[in-house]
Amino acid sequence: MKKIFIDPPNSMILFDIVERLGHEPLSTMAALQERVDNLEIDMPPMNVTLDDVIKGLKYAGIEVPSGIRGRLAVWGPQIDAADAAIVMTEAPYSFGCVGCERSNEMVKYLLRRRGIPILWVEYPRDKEAAMRMLEETKEFLEGLE
Amino acid sequence: MSENKPRQRETRLIMISPASNVTPDQLARTVHAMGRELSVKETCYGCLLEGDPKTVVEVRDELRKLDPHGIYSKRRAYPAGDPRRCRAQHGTRPGYSQLEAEWKLLANLQHAMDAIDMGEKAPPEPKRNKLPVKEFKEICEVNL
Repeated sequence: MKKIFIDPPNSMILFDIVERLGHEPLSTMAALQERVDNLEIDMPPMNVTLDDVIKGLKYAGIEVPSGIRGRLAVWGPQIDAADAAIVMTEAPYSFGCVGCERSNEMVKYLLRRRGIPILWVEYPRDKEAAMRMLEETKEFLEGLE
Repeated sequence: MSENKPRQRETRLIMISPASNVTPDQLARTVHAMGRELSVKETCYGCLLEGDPKTVVEVRDELRKLDPHGIYSKRRAYPAGDPRRCRAQHGTRPGYSQLEAEWKLLANLQHAMDAIDMGEKAPPEPKRNKLPVKEFKEICEVNL
């Protein structure tokens, strides 16, 4: 079982497909659950701890807006832990984490910099695109073993 | 990493595809009938399961048998009914628009899974051509 980072990291479709094919998806939900259960902060991910901001510095410079650092404090450690990644492309503007496009760009940059296998799948806007997405994902995940 | 630590609770969101005949009520009743130690909350899109991670995954697998290609799931960070998120207690629901966007796509995914099971092959991706200058000019000159 490999750890697969999914992008958008809150996508149910990618989370479900990766689980169906027998791997562990790394998602925002898992990272936030730890903050919800263990930390006394009001409303993660809207509120962060000082540790989060410091963690974010590993992934983005001090001149980068704090919102990006906060987001990367959640996704960065998952990117470090991932064995591979699946990224959805050509999605509409409102799909996935829409708060900050620069954070999404940084995630893709960090994935490329790590050099892990990455699959770029098409947004399943119709049945044919969904079939292509499923076949490519299956082939990619089977190839990781 | 959070994934490596033993988790006390797992909350899982179960969503039914719009092309499925299963109803949220049917899901909730099926879970109750199993008599497992976990809580279930019926929602408009399916249900929420909450309990020990192993039990939750086993129940999810059982629920999938109702409609293998029509029931989807993902983990949820907040517990079911958490006042910070639950609409009944005027909580915010920032993830709902993403859920709605994905719900609309589930029918495509369901039909694709059915087709692949029946041995169909995915058609090749259509080639995208460049936009002809004439059409581009027409778009530019449209008066809104």
